[in-house]
Amino acid sequence: MSESEIAMAGHEAVREDSPYGIQHKKLGIWLFILSDAVTFASVLFAYGYVRVGSPGWTRPFEFSPTIANGMVMTLALLTSSLTMLGALEAAKHDHKSRCLAWLGATMLLGTLFAALHIREWLKMMEDGWRLFQNPLGGPALFGATFFSITGLHLTHVVAGVVALAVVAGKFNRSRMDAGHVETVGLYWHFVDIVWMFVFPLVYLMNAR
Amino acid sequence: MGAPKTKDGMGMGPFVAIWAGLLCIVGIEVFLTYRHFSSQKLLLFLLIFACIEASIAVMFFMHLKYERPSLFWSLVPALLFVLFMMDHFWPDALRLEHLRVVHW
Repeated sequence: MSESEIAMAGHEAVREDSPYGIQHKKLGIWLFILSDAVTFASVLFAYGYVRVGSPGWTRPFEFSPTIANGMVMTLALLTSSLTMLGALEAAKHDHKSRCLAWLGATMLLGTLFAALHIREWLKMMEDGWRLFQNPLGGPALFGATFFSITGLHLTHVVAGVVALAVVAGKFNRSRMDAGHVETVGLYWHFVDIVWMFVFPLVYLMNAR
Repeated sequence: MGAPKTKDGMGMGPFVAIWAGLLCIVGIEVFLTYRHFSSQKLLLFLLIFACIEASIAVMFFMHLKYERPSLFWSLVPALLFVLFMMDHFWPDALRLEHLRVVHW
């Protein structure tokens, strides 16, 4: 194509097709998720490293309340992934009010997860657990690994709820579309997937 | 831009079934935790189930199954390679046990 033909055709005619067939924001969030997955993997590997190298590792979690609480948190997070899918389906079909209702449910479940998590932390602190303090007399690094892993995940959940609120607000004012709902949904599902590793490795592996 | 293979109008039915399946896996994980396996065996079981859960969620909830294969092949092998390389720390972690000062 000559230069004049390109000029005649305009910018659209020479734009290359994406090799992935997705919008740039979706590719961006996938790359972010990839890097964040490596971050969580590093933290979980570090936890494994410390645990393997520390004889007499503490296993403080009773079924009730800690494991049962963890199961309720898992139920809340898994269900929030389902409501997120509902929001995306509604957004794709341009059902604005239904999409907002599903997004609201997702945020509510995310908030419930965070509230249960914080309540559990407060109870543990009441029992004497600190970042470098183990009230049961075992390795002090238990607190460091537990609070850092669950804290990093909780930060992601809170950030996700805020991101959902922003997208819901802008989607309501038609300043964002279904693509944005899908992008924030991908992040939300990722947070759920991370919990699928945190719950068994940090909670169940430390159950009495 | 090529259209993704997502089946619009597929409804929520399949996703509800997947959600129920994931909950069942969590139930199995908790059940296995109280079967008094050795730590190594329990870790193996829990990791297998966690990987199954994560794969299902990535493929269906995150719709990777419906995207072009190029996206899958750009992301997943890279992540698996990094995770594989991280495994090289384990021998050092095991060595720590033998480096402890013995108090007589």
